[in-house]
Amino acid sequence: MSGLTGMLIAQIVVAIILASILLIRPSVTVGPTGKILAFLGLFVLPALCLVGGMDTQVQRSEQTQFCVSCHAMVPYGRSLYVDDPSYIPAAHFQNHRVPADMACYACHADYTIYGPLKDKLRGVTRIYMQYVSKPPNPIRIPGGYNNNQCLHCHLGARGFEGNPIHSAIMDSLKSNELSCVSSGCHDTVHNVAALSHVKFWRPGQ
Amino acid sequence: MKLHEMGIQRLLRISSALVILGLLVEIASLLWFHPLAFVLFVFVSASLIALGILVYLVSLVFVAAPPAGSHKSP
Repeated sequence: MSGLTGMLIAQIVVAIILASILLIRPSVTVGPTGKILAFLGLFVLPALCLVGGMDTQVQRSEQTQFCVSCHAMVPYGRSLYVDDPSYIPAAHFQNHRVPADMACYACHADYTIYGPLKDKLRGVTRIYMQYVSKPPNPIRIPGGYNNNQCLHCHLGARGFEGNPIHSAIMDSLKSNELSCVSSGCHDTVHNVAALSHVKFWRPGQ
Repeated sequence: MKLHEMGIQRLLRISSALVILGLLVEIASLLWFHPLAFVLFVFVSASLIALGILVYLVSLVFVAAPPAGSHKSP
């Protein structure tokens, strides 16, 4: 539990104490002090707890541990440790090309204005599939992997733009006409079906 | 039953109960690191807290506060 979560819980406890006073003795609101107490206990503090809780939950949902805590996502989490640089997610995760604690989010976030909201809605749909219906096997991204998620970091980078293959097809990449993960390019992604045959990297080795 | 007939104290009790319940669920969701905790917070905790706040605001707008001293028994 982080310090901020601890502070939020302390704030929630204070709000519960104030709300409990009003639950037990609502007559205290007759006086001006009671009115202020009610305003704090039933409006200001709960609203702050709501905003703080939402912020904490949204930040948590961007963490790698959060994503791989769903049973269906476990093999995708394992694929980050494959000892083979041709595995794109593993190479990014192990070399810290993306923040290791936000590896899933860094490559799967929708980097548009309403992207985070769309991501959360998609996430809730997946939780529904996990617990109510059935998750697809293999899991596929609706509409395919969007190149913008790669270009968000790689566009403008010397190593990427200096590559003559990338330069030749840049327009197709930008328009998402040709996928970065299409066959013959960076086509080894999570490849979870082959995980039983690969070697794994152990951090600290 | 109309709102003004319910009385501000009853509405405050309802509001407090909703807020307390919502906050308790929020604590549970913060202590549980799991995707379901997110769902629990968004759909249960946030709804209860928001409803509690709404009931409190409704009590302020639609129900006139009793005059000072009316809570005392004669």
